Amino acid sequence: MISSLRQRLSQIPRGAELRKRIFEMIDERVRIVTAGLSIKELRAVLRGDPPTEKPNPRYKVITTSFVAHLRPRYYPQGATWFTHTFRLGWFTTFFFVVELITGLVLMIYYIPFPDQAYGSILEIESNVFLGELFRDLHRLGAEAMVLFTWLHLFRTYFTGSYKGQRTFTWLTGVALLAITAWLSFTGYLLTWDQLGYWAITVGTSMTDSGPVVGPALNIIMRGAPDIGTGGLLRFYLNHVVLFPLIAILIISIHYYKVSREHGISMPAVIEEGEVSEDKKKEANRRIDLIPDLLTHEIFLVAVGILALLVIVYFDLFNSPLETPANPQVTPLDTKAPWYFWWLQGLLKIEPAKILENLLNPIVTRFGMAPLQLGLLLDSKFIMGLVVPPVVVGILFAIPYIDRTPARLARKRPFAIAWGILWIFIILALSYMGLPEFGIETPAATRVIQDLAPEEGLGILRETPYEELLPGIYTVGETSPEDLCAKDFAYTDHATGKQVIGCPHLVEVFEQYSSGLLAAEAEGKLPELHAILLIEDYGPDLRRVEMEVSWLDAESDEVKTYVKHYFLHRDRAREH
Amino acid sequence: MKRIHIEIALGTLFIIASSVILILMASEEPARLARYETQQLASQIEFGAAVYEVNCTSCHGSHAQGVPGKAPCLRCPDLFEGRIAEVGWQGSLEDYIVSVVTTGRQISTRPGLYQGEGQGPPVMPTWSDKFGGPLRDDQIRAVAAFIMNYEEWAANPEAVPTPLFVVDSNDPIALGRVAMVQYGCTGCHTIQGLSEAVTGPVMNGIATRAGTIAGYASAEDYIRASILNPNEYLVEGFNEGVMPQNFGEIIPAADLDNIVAYLLTLTDN
Repeated sequence: MISSLRQRLSQIPRGAELRKRIFEMIDERVRIVTAGLSIKELRAVLRGDPPTEKPNPRYKVITTSFVAHLRPRYYPQGATWFTHTFRLGWFTTFFFVVELITGLVLMIYYIPFPDQAYGSILEIESNVFLGELFRDLHRLGAEAMVLFTWLHLFRTYFTGSYKGQRTFTWLTGVALLAITAWLSFTGYLLTWDQLGYWAITVGTSMTDSGPVVGPALNIIMRGAPDIGTGGLLRFYLNHVVLFPLIAILIISIHYYKVSREHGISMPAVIEEGEVSEDKKKEANRRIDLIPDLLTHEIFLVAVGILALLVIVYFDLFNSPLETPANPQVTPLDTKAPWYFWWLQGLLKIEPAKILENLLNPIVTRFGMAPLQLGLLLDSKFIMGLVVPPVVVGILFAIPYIDRTPARLARKRPFAIAWGILWIFIILALSYMGLPEFGIETPAATRVIQDLAPEEGLGILRETPYEELLPGIYTVGETSPEDLCAKDFAYTDHATGKQVIGCPHLVEVFEQYSSGLLAAEAEGKLPELHAILLIEDYGPDLRRVEMEVSWLDAESDEVKTYVKHYFLHRDRAREH
Repeated sequence: MKRIHIEIALGTLFIIASSVILILMASEEPARLARYETQQLASQIEFGAAVYEVNCTSCHGSHAQGVPGKAPCLRCPDLFEGRIAEVGWQGSLEDYIVSVVTTGRQISTRPGLYQGEGQGPPVMPTWSDKFGGPLRDDQIRAVAAFIMNYEEWAANPEAVPTPLFVVDSNDPIALGRVAMVQYGCTGCHTIQGLSEAVTGPVMNGIATRAGTIAGYASAEDYIRASILNPNEYLVEGFNEGVMPQNFGEIIPAADLDNIVAYLLTLTDN
C-alpha cells in the first residue's frame, strides 16, 4: 500500500517538467475562457504582435464565442478611415451603453410617483454618493446620443451609404432616430419639475388636435386629461422598460446588418474607382477584429469616458432641476429640449395666415371677399400632426426615392444640395423655436423676466445676499452710486472673497432701469414709475419686490406689474 | 511604432486620467453633498416664503407677525419655546407645523386669545390637497421650513432688523398701507390687491362712504372713531364686539394718522 503510493508520488514530475505541466493546464483553461486563444497568443494580441499559431486562432474566437460572433472578422481598411465614418455610429452605441448603466443606477433611487419623484431627485443630488455625477452623465449621455444619431444620419446620407443592399439598414437607422427621440422625451418628464412637466404637457397636447383618435391618444399617453400619477408611470415604463427593449432589438438588427451582412460602406472614392491601384489595394487590406479593431474600440471607450468625466467635472454641463411641477402655473418662456426646438418652431408657423396673405391680394382684385382659411386649416393639426410624420416618412423613404447607384458627392449634386437645405431648414426652425422668437411679452414682464427668470438663475439670483441691502430704489431717481454707502464692503460667505461696494446690486438695478427706460422711450411704458424694493423677511432671508406701473394707452388706466422674489443667504448662486 | 501601440499607450493614459478625475470627485463628494443640502434647504425656505406670502399673510400677517385676535405670530418665542409641550405634541415642531397646515384646525386651542370657539367654519382651513385644500405636500413642507427658519429671530429678538418693513418714510400713504398689514387690519378686511377676508367690511370705497355717515364731521372723523371705538357705529350686517376694542392702546398715534391717510385714498374709483 505504502510502496504503491510512493511509486505514484515518484511519477509526479518535478522541476521544469512540473512547471511545464502546470502551465499547460492553465493554458488549456485560458483557451476555454477566451474561446481559443492561448496565453502566448493573448499576450501577442495585447502587444499588437502577429498571430503565434497557424491557422490564425483569432478567427476561431469569432466562430466559438457568442459575444464575438456578433462582430465581423475584419473590416477593409477603407471602411475604418476616420474621415469616412467619424465613429459617429460607434459613439451613438457607446452613449446608449452609458445610458443603460447610469440609468440602472438612477433607477435604484428614483420613485416614479408624483408626490415623491421630485424629492427622490433631490435625494440623488444631496444624499447619494456621486449621485450628481450619475445624473449628469445620464443627461449628458442622452443629449450626446441624440446629437450623434443626427450626425450619423447626415454622414450616411452625404456619403451615400444608404444605397443598394443598405436600404433596410437605413430604415432601421431612422427607426432608431425616432426611438432615441422618444426615449429622451419620456425621460424629460421624470424629474417632475416645471421644465419637464410643461415641456411634456405642451408636447402631448399636439396629439389632441388629431382627427377622431387624437383626444383618445392624448389620454392614453397622459393617463388622464392632465399628467398625474398615471401619466408619470406610463412615461416611466416607456422610458425604462418598453423602449430600451425595443431599442436593443433594433440596434441589434441595425448592427448585425452592418457587421455581418454588408459591412461598413467603403468610401465612395474607393468603390467607384478613380484612385490608384495601390490606394485601392491599401483600402482593401483587412483590419482584423482581434486585435486591431478591439484595441481601437477600447481606446475609443477610454476617450469617451474621459470626455464625459472632464465635461462633468469642470461643470461644463449640469443637468437642470427647476422648481417642482405645478400644474396650476405655466412658467413664462416654456422651452422644449434643444433637439425639439425645430418642432416648437414648426408649431409657430400658421399655414392659414400664410395662404391668406398670399392669395387675398389676388382674390380681392377679382372683387371677391377675402378668404378665411383659419377654420379649414388648423395650424396645430397641420404643423404638429401632419408635417412631422411627413418629414419622418420622407426620411424613411430616402433610399427608395433616390435609386441612382452613384455615391460620389459630385455625381449626385441634387441629393447633396437637398441634404444641405435640410440642415438649414432644421437650424432655421430651431431658431424659430426659441421662446424669444415670435412671442411678444409685455415690456415690463420682459425686463423683469430677463433679470430674474421664473425658472433658472438670472443676475438677481446670482447677487450675493450681503449686497441685497434693504431699501427702496426708484428707477430714474436713485443713482446707482447711492445703492450702497461709499465705504461699503463685505466678505462673500460662499467664496470667502472680499468685495468692495455692491457691484452685483448695481448691475441688477442698471439693467432693470435701462430696460424699463428704453421701453418708456419706445412708448411702451408711458408715465413709467418703477421701484426695486428689498426688505428682510426672516433670518438670512430677504424679499425683493419689483413694481412697475405705467399709463396704459388703450384703457387710459394705470397698470401695475409686480413680481416678488425671496432670496436666502445660502442659496445656490451658480449652476 | 504602429498605430495600435499608440492607441494602447494613449488609452492607458486616458484611463488613468479618468481614474484621477473620479478619485478627485469622490474626495470632494462629502463636501458637495453637504453644500447641496444647505442650498436645497435655502431654496426650500424661499419656496416656502412664496407659498406663505400668497396663502397665509391674510391671517398670520405679512411678515409672520400674527394678527391680534385672529391668528398667532409665527416668528415669536412662544411657538418655538413651548408650543408643542402646551398641546402635548409628541414629534418635532416642524412636524407639528406640517400637521396643522395639512389638516387645518376646526377650533382654536387658545379660544381666549384667538377666534374659533366651536361652531362655524374652521378657524384654520385644511391646506392639503389630500383633504380638499390647495397645497401639495412639498409646498406644505416648504412652508414649515420657512417658519422653522424664524427660530433664530425667536431666540434673539434683538436680531430682528428695524425697521423690518421697508417703505418710503416720507410717504404717509405708503406707511399707512404697511401699518394696515402690520396691525392685522388686513386679516379681517378686504382691500383689493392687498388682502381678502370676510370678517369685517370691505375697505375699498370707505373714503367715499365715510363722508356720507350722519353724526360725523368728516370722513376722517368717522374712520378714526371706527378704529378707536368700533362699536360706536356698526355697518349693516356686522356684529358688535368682533373688532378688537384696544387699537387705541396698540397703535401709536403716528401710525394711526398714516392708516387714516391711507384709508382716505380708498375711494369708490
